[in-house]
Amino acid sequence: MLAKSVPVAMAQGSSCWGCFQSLVDIHLKLADVLPLLDIKYWQAVVDYKLKDLEGYPDKSIAVGFYEGMARTEEDIHLLKVMRQKCQTLIAFGSCYCFGGIPGMANFSDIEQCYDVKFRHNKTVNGGSVPSVNVPAITDVVKPNTDYAAFDVYLPGCPPTSKLILTAVTALLEGKPLELPPYTVCHYCKREKKETPISEILRPYVGKADVQRCLLEQGYICMGPSTWGLCEGQCVNKGATCRGCFGPSPPIMKDHGAATISMLGTYAPIDPDKLIAQVKDPLGTFYRFDYPTSHLGRIRIKHEEAERRRK
Amino acid sequence: MPEEKTIHIDPVTRLEGHGALTIKLGPGNKVKDVQFNIGSTRFFEQFLVGRPMEEVPRIAPRICGICPEPHHLASVKAVEAAWDVKPPPAAIKLRRLLIEAKQLSSHAIHFYALAAPDFVFGPFADPSVRNVAGVLKHLPDVAVQAIKLMEFGQELCRDIAAKAIHPATAIPGGMLNSLKEEERDKWLKAVPAMLENVQKTVDLAKKVVNLYFDVITKVAVTPTYYVGLSNKGVLDIYDGTIHVMDPSGKMVADFEPKDYTKYWGEYVSDHSYATHIYYKLAGYPAGIWRANTLARCNIADRMATPLADAALKEMRALIGRPSHHTFGYHYARIVEMVQAAESIKKLLEDPDIVSTDVKLSDVQPKAGEGVGVVEAPRGTCLHNYECDDQGIVTKANIIVATNHNIGGIEKSLTDAAKMIFEQDGLKKLKLPEPLVKT
Repeated sequence: MLAKSVPVAMAQGSSCWGCFQSLVDIHLKLADVLPLLDIKYWQAVVDYKLKDLEGYPDKSIAVGFYEGMARTEEDIHLLKVMRQKCQTLIAFGSCYCFGGIPGMANFSDIEQCYDVKFRHNKTVNGGSVPSVNVPAITDVVKPNTDYAAFDVYLPGCPPTSKLILTAVTALLEGKPLELPPYTVCHYCKREKKETPISEILRPYVGKADVQRCLLEQGYICMGPSTWGLCEGQCVNKGATCRGCFGPSPPIMKDHGAATISMLGTYAPIDPDKLIAQVKDPLGTFYRFDYPTSHLGRIRIKHEEAERRRK
Repeated sequence: MPEEKTIHIDPVTRLEGHGALTIKLGPGNKVKDVQFNIGSTRFFEQFLVGRPMEEVPRIAPRICGICPEPHHLASVKAVEAAWDVKPPPAAIKLRRLLIEAKQLSSHAIHFYALAAPDFVFGPFADPSVRNVAGVLKHLPDVAVQAIKLMEFGQELCRDIAAKAIHPATAIPGGMLNSLKEEERDKWLKAVPAMLENVQKTVDLAKKVVNLYFDVITKVAVTPTYYVGLSNKGVLDIYDGTIHVMDPSGKMVADFEPKDYTKYWGEYVSDHSYATHIYYKLAGYPAGIWRANTLARCNIADRMATPLADAALKEMRALIGRPSHHTFGYHYARIVEMVQAAESIKKLLEDPDIVSTDVKLSDVQPKAGEGVGVVEAPRGTCLHNYECDDQGIVTKANIIVATNHNIGGIEKSLTDAAKMIFEQDGLKKLKLPEPLVKT
């Protein structure tokens, strides 16, 4: 136990609060951890305002957690303030690390997004993009890492409570955080028989054998290319892995490309047939990390060039 | 020159998500405008287009990390409606257990972590104390009962849905995972202690209601319409028809979820990225409604379980029906928490809950449209998708719980601001001594 409480700050970009809920879900361990923290900022929990955070001396906060990607000018500002005030900044969750699910907004042009949200849909008609007392929305989701350097990478959608507790404990004790490098398959209890896949099945088809590898049964599962910090929670409960923890080390760069190449080795199917059977490669293989992928980077550059041209 | 000033509160705290508050005051502190500014949006309705529809229940929960289960289930119900699929009865029971478990943990975190610090320490305590860490320090027994309730709900969700945060097992045609007998036995064994913690929560809530009765009955008592699911008059968070109650307490609409566009309007304000959902037939702003706990309790004739029904009657004896008391939302939250606890017990005692017959094997996509609705902790959650004959999403419209409440929040904030700035009403309020003095 540390004698003095450690100053911490928790901030949220555009996100769902799931990473923080996962932190809360350490349950009774909260009774050990919370008293060790001097919470300097946590909008959902403590009543300090943004100006309080902005007013603290630089690097006066030992550890900062930032959840979510930066979709607005205000998110970017908050991210930069956190970087300035915190000695250690944690890239908390897959939205921070890779852009996350909302990074899929980059599949479309921002004007298409505005159309569906504000201008024309089943229940909206003729609205305009709000502009009073709200921060501007960025044209494209750029990885947070483009705006601020971080110190610790804690992926997951969300990171598990166990992983968060491990990280928090290490940080509070000033010890290095060492994480196991295995993929999801390492934690999966299902049996692999190295059976080649003859046909890709959508997840509602049939009833999967509960003993056997889901991928070998034909259900697309990203377990072999995904970092197993989740300890296989979905695959052991019947659901295929969708890659929410991102690429496993040392494949730190392109999760989607790694998955596609992995699928090729599992499924010796004629490429044309394979393409026809995999209904949504972009939304499946790049679901959590499109903005940081090679393809996603090209997209961001394209968008930026378009904006400059206009 | 008339003096004008703007009060800007950024961020609004103890709220999950992005919100700021702008209050404009004119000469003599006259309240001229109150804005609740929601400062971000992520465009789910756009990026769901192009996804295979069975994948949407695994993507849409990311809308909310506190209430991913309602999104997961509204989403899968929308897909099943579009594809004309009816999951086996045991799968429905498992889904009901999942949403009730979420209701329990969400109501617990809301009451104890978001709301209780004000009541425990008083609204004027220092921010460094007026929070859940302060509750843990000064009232450890209360904090531990809160944590245990949250733990029960979240871990039960995990057993059913693989993850409590962003569940993974609901699939068109049922569930990918059944509850194991040993898991059921473990939860049944934990039920009595959970019920005891719920009872302690009820006792604490009643004490708070009693102490703060002047606040409840004088601050932000704001008549609005109410919207919520009701199953033949019974409060049901998984299924039913959508009801609308007018400010006088008259039920003005009762319709199938698929007909929602006839009754629901979506107003795009210039100062918030969150749109305002309202009663279309009354127009905006006249048709501003609220959802969430109090709305459901106003709309329901009775609760589904005996202790909850007794609690509802007790609440009505104190604050009436309809209740327009914004602080009554906390009270209604506790009434619903009792129903969640009793429902969990009942479902766990049902032998079908461990049935392995929870998934159809012959589901087929087809071109069409589906609407799925459940009640999320903070209100009616609606997913509406269209798809092509391959089952790929071509259009999505999602109404999240919070958006029903934005108009109502601005209305009640206006009432509170008028009371504070125009009538100096804070001074006239009877506030109790804080439960814990700091």
